[in-house]
Amino acid sequence: MNQAENLVRIAQLSCGAEYSGIQKEIDSAVKQVNAVMVFPEVDISDIEAIEEEFGLKVASPDLKLMMARAKSIVTGKVHVDAVFVATCFRCAEAAIVRSEVRRYIHEKTGIPVISYSFTERTTAGTLLTRMEALTTTARRKSLLAREKQSGLTAGIDSGSTTTKAVVMRDNKIIGKGWVPTIKVLESAEEAYTNALKEAGVKREEIQALGTTGYGRFLIGEHFKADLVQEEITVNSKGAVYLAGKQKGTATVLDIGGMDNKAISVIDGIPGMFTMGGICAGASGRFLEMTAKRLGVGITELGALAIKGRQENVKMNSYCIVFGIQSLVNSLAAGSKPEDVAAAACHSVAEQLFEQQLQEIDVKEPVIMVGGTSLIEGLPKAVEELLKVKVIVPENAQYIGAVGAALLVSGFIAK
Amino acid sequence: MKVFIYPTNSLILSDLVERFGHEPLAIMSEIGKRVRTQGLDSPPLNITPEEPKLGLKYAAVEVPSGVRGRMALFDPLISKADAAIIVRDPVTSFGCMGCARTNELINFLIRAKKIPLLELDYPSTEEDAKEFVFKISEFLKSLKPAEEAK
Amino acid sequence: MDTITKMVVINSQKVLPSDVVIKLYESNADVMIKETCFGIIVSGERTIVDSLLSSIRKMDPYGIFIKERGLAPGEPYRCRATRRGGARPGFHTLETEDKILPYIASALKALDKGEIPKQKQKKKKLDVEKLKEIIKEAEVTQ
Repeated sequence: MNQAENLVRIAQLSCGAEYSGIQKEIDSAVKQVNAVMVFPEVDISDIEAIEEEFGLKVASPDLKLMMARAKSIVTGKVHVDAVFVATCFRCAEAAIVRSEVRRYIHEKTGIPVISYSFTERTTAGTLLTRMEALTTTARRKSLLAREKQSGLTAGIDSGSTTTKAVVMRDNKIIGKGWVPTIKVLESAEEAYTNALKEAGVKREEIQALGTTGYGRFLIGEHFKADLVQEEITVNSKGAVYLAGKQKGTATVLDIGGMDNKAISVIDGIPGMFTMGGICAGASGRFLEMTAKRLGVGITELGALAIKGRQENVKMNSYCIVFGIQSLVNSLAAGSKPEDVAAAACHSVAEQLFEQQLQEIDVKEPVIMVGGTSLIEGLPKAVEELLKVKVIVPENAQYIGAVGAALLVSGFIAK
Repeated sequence: MKVFIYPTNSLILSDLVERFGHEPLAIMSEIGKRVRTQGLDSPPLNITPEEPKLGLKYAAVEVPSGVRGRMALFDPLISKADAAIIVRDPVTSFGCMGCARTNELINFLIRAKKIPLLELDYPSTEEDAKEFVFKISEFLKSLKPAEEAK
Repeated sequence: MDTITKMVVINSQKVLPSDVVIKLYESNADVMIKETCFGIIVSGERTIVDSLLSSIRKMDPYGIFIKERGLAPGEPYRCRATRRGGARPGFHTLETEDKILPYIASALKALDKGEIPKQKQKKKKLDVEKLKEIIKEAEVTQ
């Protein structure tokens, strides 16, 4: 986050943030990405007319205000670079308004917009990745327009479970490294060294380096990276690049080791997205534990799941504790390992569907990325649930590293 | 007497209660106490993540944090109320009164207190306003004056 | 010190906000005064503000309305200038209430004259039987 970069004006359309005690957290996250919150101007006649105009009648006055402020952005009465729509978690009325307001702004203006439902436990840290993605989209439109990698660049993705690195030259991947994350810096060193070795190039030859993932700041500083970027932007770009779907709409799904991302992408730029991180039952960890229980490697779980039928195993919970217990019980009751593997994949897919995909527009093609996309049973389960074809591009597990190497090639001094 | 008013940020109700010799219990005084006492730790209203927890007194954790935070703000007003005036269909009020669920709960709690209560409709014509002001003045007269109550 | 901020909303034929400001300054009281688009904000020690404003109210009892305000005048988190755009949420409430202040003024005058207003009958929903009759009549005339 370069402080010298332009100040980004983000419109805050919210209900309940001040009363949940988290306005300070919002302001703090926004400050860290060199942006300011703007409260769009409306007058009382706008508010009085908004329900009729918008076609949505609500009881809460602050939600009317939210809709009126959205209109003020759409009609150009106020100039903003991005929009943050947020309401209280568990408020049904607000959830409807939030979703419709987001869609309205997105469709009518193309201004980047993200939405969030908060509780009193929401912190600046949780909001930071979202604000970072939002401001990047607003600020670096030209960088995001890059469709080909050029020169000799590298990307490192420091994930919560694994660290990935790639070296690219002239739009081709020439070296890859993939190690479990143990110590962030050491693992990054190892993955990067492996990638360089495979590529047959020296570290000093690399013209530009980009970092992403949980450890992006730490490794970014260590390796003096030219670009340190959150994974929403990087993965969107990486996914459409690897899948050859750079133009038009796409949906990117990334089930990570610790959290999930579902991103609705237009021309390689993230539009709406959700990030989940509350439930381990919807993460790669769930599949890892299933594999362990079945006594197979994580790389074998997918092939096993393809052979099985999830319907044969009853699971009464998505939870990483109780759900796994269900699987163990069914094994004890004589279920086949392949059915159990299929049920585990189905469970994770269903969680993703229930928790996250309800909040974004699922537009084809659906591209699955990240290490979990290689567990064949998982994309298959998602296909069955969404009734669409799921694309898993080659090198999908290197998504973040490839995206970073691609984007950072825009930083090579001409 | 201390008279709770709803909407609790109403200029008209606040003015009438004071004009007729009682003390309006309005949300502005609660906000004032918060922002004046110890500087702004959690701007703009000094409501911190602790308030939604204090709001658990009125609503369970399944109720949105914004409702519980607001309830913490309203708590002293509800506790202190000796009488109340509720306008049933007020003009839209924002901010502290911006959440319909909170407003419903506040109205319920006030009604449940079984204190002298006047419920009336918001005026839309001059004639309505006459009835509105008359009823409020009669109601306030029927209460003990603020001085006596002390 | 018990500090308080009060808002004086002026909707008067006789008194201008500037008249009130002059009167406030003349009092030499230790208060902070800010003239705004809807009237005046006065901030200071509670007893001083209250006694000062009770004399201000007398300038036009039907055209001056007073309420407390939580935030001090010019509070940067609420001030339109520093908040980059929109008014604080409470401003819109004030805007809507301001519209009916002339009615309230005339009601207060009527009250002082001892007028007893007519009680308006509440409209009830139409009885179903009556509605049925109307429908039948409509069918006949068609």
